[in-house]
Amino acid sequence: MISKPTDETPQALDELASEYVLGTLSAEQRAEVQQRLHSDIGLRNAVDNWERRLLGLTELAEPRTPSAQLWQRIERSVEALDRPSSTSRVLPSATWWNRLPLWRGLAGAGLAASLLLGAMLLTQTTVKPTYLVVLVAPQDKAPGWVIQASNPREIQLIPLGVVEVPADKALEFWTKAEGWQGPVSLGLVKPGQTLSVPLDKLPPLEPNQLFELTLENPNGSPIGKPTGPIQFIGRAVKVL
Amino acid sequence: MPETVFDYEHHLAACARGERQALRDLYVQESPRLLGVAKRLVRDSALAEDIVHDAFLKIWTGAGGFDPARGSARGWMFSVTRHLALNYLRDHNRELQGDVDVPDSTDTGDAQVHSAHIHRCLEQLEPLRRDCIVHAYVDGYSHAQISHKLGTPLGTVKAWIKRSLTALRECLG
Repeated sequence: MISKPTDETPQALDELASEYVLGTLSAEQRAEVQQRLHSDIGLRNAVDNWERRLLGLTELAEPRTPSAQLWQRIERSVEALDRPSSTSRVLPSATWWNRLPLWRGLAGAGLAASLLLGAMLLTQTTVKPTYLVVLVAPQDKAPGWVIQASNPREIQLIPLGVVEVPADKALEFWTKAEGWQGPVSLGLVKPGQTLSVPLDKLPPLEPNQLFELTLENPNGSPIGKPTGPIQFIGRAVKVL
Repeated sequence: MPETVFDYEHHLAACARGERQALRDLYVQESPRLLGVAKRLVRDSALAEDIVHDAFLKIWTGAGGFDPARGSARGWMFSVTRHLALNYLRDHNRELQGDVDVPDSTDTGDAQVHSAHIHRCLEQLEPLRRDCIVHAYVDGYSHAQISHKLGTPLGTVKAWIKRSLTALRECLG
């Protein structure tokens, strides 16, 4: 959808590139530039030139010695990144799936802790998530879904199994942070489906932000607020 | 200067072939400076390490797509890091909350830098306009934050930055 405006002058393009590199563009403008950089060679050249021109300014920031853990973290993440492509072993999500009965037998805080740990292991295959949410059924606390966010613009909803939804109903995905008027719909979810949800219209994720899946009509709640029973619920935890 | 003998392009190419030692070498070579850049932008040590972590993953996965015709490998590593930090800052809408208190940019680390071309060009700008550029690039301040920090109207700050960039472009080529 984002394309080069037809009336953009070379000067406007260069100004956009310069303020992108300088850092003064808003989040929306930055996202737009980053989208355009994939295909817009003119903009890419202008940005490259500005990166080169201003690079010397990085010397104004005093170097800092990283903690001893930083390299270990990078090494672990690189290892996790490389692993899935090198073999055709079972995907990490399938491992999760197999362990579900075990986790169903657990209860309470220990469950939450092992889930978080498991989710963190699961997500080692991508960039480290900044937030994790485990969505559990309100009655028996059985985990049904994991949400991970490895960048603040997008979350992934990952099923841990296939849940039963009545034929004339649908699952609707909601979130609400502290201080919001009410939950905001993130759309309909099919059982067993992994879903990426852009959060560009919402404020950034925050700790303790509520996520839930409710049972609604096939087209979703008619009033824009949850009306049906909660199937799964959880709160966001910031990953250290 | 060690950077002149360290071959960044060669190490990136090795990363693209999956040689992890090359990534380690790049880390040893550049992580303190990259961390310094990230720390200055996000103003939090743990967060800055997160940024550098993500940057090195991007360097590892992006090494194969790196095109030396587009710029230096070293510059690319800084760009990757800066833009991750800037995305974070803008996404979290870190507007000035009164508690943002960083040392004046011009106070730190300027002893070793006067040789570089960019700094000669910067010196040709009026001091306040120079501060605008440094606060934006080094501190990650938005237009509004610079306006607040300098006590200068927002429109003036925007115009100064635009004109300063034009002047820098002429000076730097």
